[in-house]
Amino acid sequence: MILYILRRLVSIAVTFFVVSVLVFLMMHSVPGGPFDGNDMPLSAAVRAKLMAQLGLDQPLHVQYFNYMAGVLRLDFGVPYQSPGETVIGLLSRAWLPSLVLGGLGVLIGAPIGILLGMAAALKRNSWMDYLASGLATLGLTVPVFVISMGLILIFAVWLNWLPASGWGKPERWILPIIAFAAIPLATYARYTRSAMLDTLNKPFVTVLRAKGLSERRIIFQHVLRNSAIPMVTVFLPMFIGTATGSIFVEAMFRVPGLGSYFVSSIQSRDYPLEMALVLMVTLMFCFAYLISDILYALLNPRIRTGGRR
Amino acid sequence: MTAPALELRGLSKKFPIRVGGRLLPRYAEHVAVDGVSLVVPTNRIVGLVGESGSGKTTTGLMAMRLIEPTSGQILIDGKDISRLGHAELKPFRRQMQVVFQDSYSALDPMMTLAQIVAEPLHIHGLMTARAQTEAALGWLERVGLDRSYGQRYPHELSGGQRQRVAIARALILRPSVLVADEPTSALDVSVKAQIINLLQDLQEEMGLSILFISHDLSVVRSLTDTVVVMHRGRVVEQAPTEAIFLESRHPYTRSLLDAIPVLHPRDRRRRTFQSAETIATGIPRLSARDLAAPAMPSATPQLVTVTPDHRVEAIVTA
Amino acid sequence: MNLVDISELTVSFRQHEGLVQAVRGISLRVDAGESVGIVGESGSGKSVTCMAMLRLLREPPARITAGKFEIAGTDILRADNRTLASLRGRVAAMVFQDPMTAFDPVFTIGHQIIETIRTHRNVSKAEARAEAESLLRRVEIKQAKDVLGYYPHQLSGGMLQRAMIAMALSCRPQILLADEPTTALDVTIQAQILQLIKELQAEFGMSLIMVTHDLGVIAETVDRVVVMYGGRVMEQGPVEAIFDDPRHPYTQALLRSIPGHAGGRRRLTEIKGASPNPANPPTGCPFHPRCAAAESACRESMPVMVAVGARHDAACWRLQ
Repeated sequence: MILYILRRLVSIAVTFFVVSVLVFLMMHSVPGGPFDGNDMPLSAAVRAKLMAQLGLDQPLHVQYFNYMAGVLRLDFGVPYQSPGETVIGLLSRAWLPSLVLGGLGVLIGAPIGILLGMAAALKRNSWMDYLASGLATLGLTVPVFVISMGLILIFAVWLNWLPASGWGKPERWILPIIAFAAIPLATYARYTRSAMLDTLNKPFVTVLRAKGLSERRIIFQHVLRNSAIPMVTVFLPMFIGTATGSIFVEAMFRVPGLGSYFVSSIQSRDYPLEMALVLMVTLMFCFAYLISDILYALLNPRIRTGGRR
Repeated sequence: MTAPALELRGLSKKFPIRVGGRLLPRYAEHVAVDGVSLVVPTNRIVGLVGESGSGKTTTGLMAMRLIEPTSGQILIDGKDISRLGHAELKPFRRQMQVVFQDSYSALDPMMTLAQIVAEPLHIHGLMTARAQTEAALGWLERVGLDRSYGQRYPHELSGGQRQRVAIARALILRPSVLVADEPTSALDVSVKAQIINLLQDLQEEMGLSILFISHDLSVVRSLTDTVVVMHRGRVVEQAPTEAIFLESRHPYTRSLLDAIPVLHPRDRRRRTFQSAETIATGIPRLSARDLAAPAMPSATPQLVTVTPDHRVEAIVTA
Repeated sequence: MNLVDISELTVSFRQHEGLVQAVRGISLRVDAGESVGIVGESGSGKSVTCMAMLRLLREPPARITAGKFEIAGTDILRADNRTLASLRGRVAAMVFQDPMTAFDPVFTIGHQIIETIRTHRNVSKAEARAEAESLLRRVEIKQAKDVLGYYPHQLSGGMLQRAMIAMALSCRPQILLADEPTTALDVTIQAQILQLIKELQAEFGMSLIMVTHDLGVIAETVDRVVVMYGGRVMEQGPVEAIFDDPRHPYTQALLRSIPGHAGGRRRLTEIKGASPNPANPPTGCPFHPRCAAAESACRESMPVMVAVGARHDAACWRLQ
């Protein structure tokens, strides 16, 4: 196990390096630079001076190594769009809305999805099954911004129950949380349903019935436990995916989260911020998958206890 | 003397297996097949028997070069094919065919039976398309299926019918060697006899040489000329079929024979079962002087020749 | 008293092709302590009958009807879920074909046996554990204590089948249903498991219902045989009578097709044709398309069971 983890850590380091080089190259090979915006005409001299100040006049590989040297000291530089603070400072500020809204979205959506999926699996071909499958299909096929738009239209515009956008008071959170919850809910509903049906068709379930166990005990102790193994392992990556912000949801509800900075950093060629965001998300996904795989091994006795005795 | 249709010489297969180590995995070599030598003479059926884990299936697959042996030689009509590359092997592939236990997963569900049976002709670029189909339909008839089955698909067939199709496909190239790996194990009693008879008939008509891999000793007794018994990757006994059933020398062979269910309730008896240890300690001790072929005295068991066609694993004493 | 008393049992399944009748009106009676073998080929309805006895088939798609369907005096057809659950494992326990897939992979063997004991008996965990250990020892598992803590994948098929038998016996059932309990095992292990089941049946005084396709298993284990084909009972009788004097052409053909112990290479006696397709069964006697002695009556209707000897009945027009 330790060897396995070490191997995975090395592969994460390699991934990190490759992603950083690729993103750095791509970022700089896109035409334009941070001071080419039309709304801010600069004289050539001023522009050159700014470029020199930020080190952007140096050869690309020098820039890369300078930047990465900083990264290794956890210094991600200063965002161009907000020179008064560091990238770290900006990110730690932007984190909060994404983590709260996205995190709550997953924490609310996933359990509801699991319950729906369970109900669907246990009452196959009933209205419950169709409802769950319908919701899951909607959640996975309708784009989030359409869901967001629908939510705003219904609850903010027509019913006027909730504010349409912003950040701050908790009532402003409700609609974006629902929007964020859509995908985890749909994914988990589908996932739970198929995992449960898969387990319910296993021969050992018939054996459990033949032993006289109650249906409730079979479902909650055996079937759920067997189905849970794959379900637990998709949780962390999904959490990271949602809690690092959605460009669409944050844009629709005008939430100042990570997702919105992704957009603005690319638009304004804010190289340090863009790099920091990509590297951070890459690293978090790598670790989420690593932890998931370790969890899988720990939950599965076949892997945990090795081969036959 | 002509070369046998198939000969295996000292064939071995080793797999690495994890032997534990919660933190750092340790690997050991698992010897699935350990120096197996056997001969399938032309126009004969040789039974290869043993239980799961005995290495009999691995041996059969290596004989067909479907698994690469770790060491040893495979001879088809006296020619060593164990080192041949893909292209050099292709002409030999025509001469050796295989039929598996689970014919359902071995038949492409998207192809008609005529296409399935004709496929080997197609692969080897033999005959025109029309002649291929005609040959396939002819073979379907020969294995006892109507020509109209040519347009059907595998899922429409019963287990026995699928096994007939698998046999037709294997034999359409007129191979000289057929490896049949438990071809009747998944079949019903009443159908099993049909397939055994079909194999018997085709073997006689075509002069086929068959390596028949099975754990079913009753079937082996009525079908084969010679039996090779494998246990834990090694050949422990090898003799003409009736000699195995009447004069077996190895304790493992005897334990297999003893486990055959009775044919009639009045023959019921209480059995005493041998453990792996009693089998290990029950290996015969033979004096080198009593053997039909010279062998070096040794404390480690070796395969020795007790009569010209009967070999058994034994400890040889001076 | 008949522990099992079934008459006119039918089991059908709703499938794409329509209603498939797997069991087409069979009667079965089993006395206390008696051992009965149900022998048949695939599609004969033997396993479905066995599963129906504990109502283990999913309903729907399965649909069960019967004139009478009693196990130890309980009407199985009208019993509610609670009654069925208390019957399963306690009055009638079952051993399944494939031990490798019969245990829940994420729980230990010990957990799964203890759980069975504690479902039906009011005992403490420690008592149940001690009992599970002694049961494992009884089925000749060495290091029973260690095996309690093993997960299913850590044991061989033969060991798992022993553990499953121990689990089935844990609540001292009156009936042991064994559905092809040795088919998935190696030859030498098969013989050991059969001998173990026979011994335990006598020791526990249980009735045994052995479902198998293998006449060798029948010859080894049971007192009475029920021969099924195409969802119907063709013949039933004491095991010696069935082997010595089979009266139904199907039973006769089946016995002749066994490879046997005769020496030398030879052709086997085969039964032409294939088992009937349950979705589209032949009219009349299901065996008539393969029967050498078939007459026109065989094609038209199913003959009734007639006595051909002491407790020996067969359903064939030639015997009417």
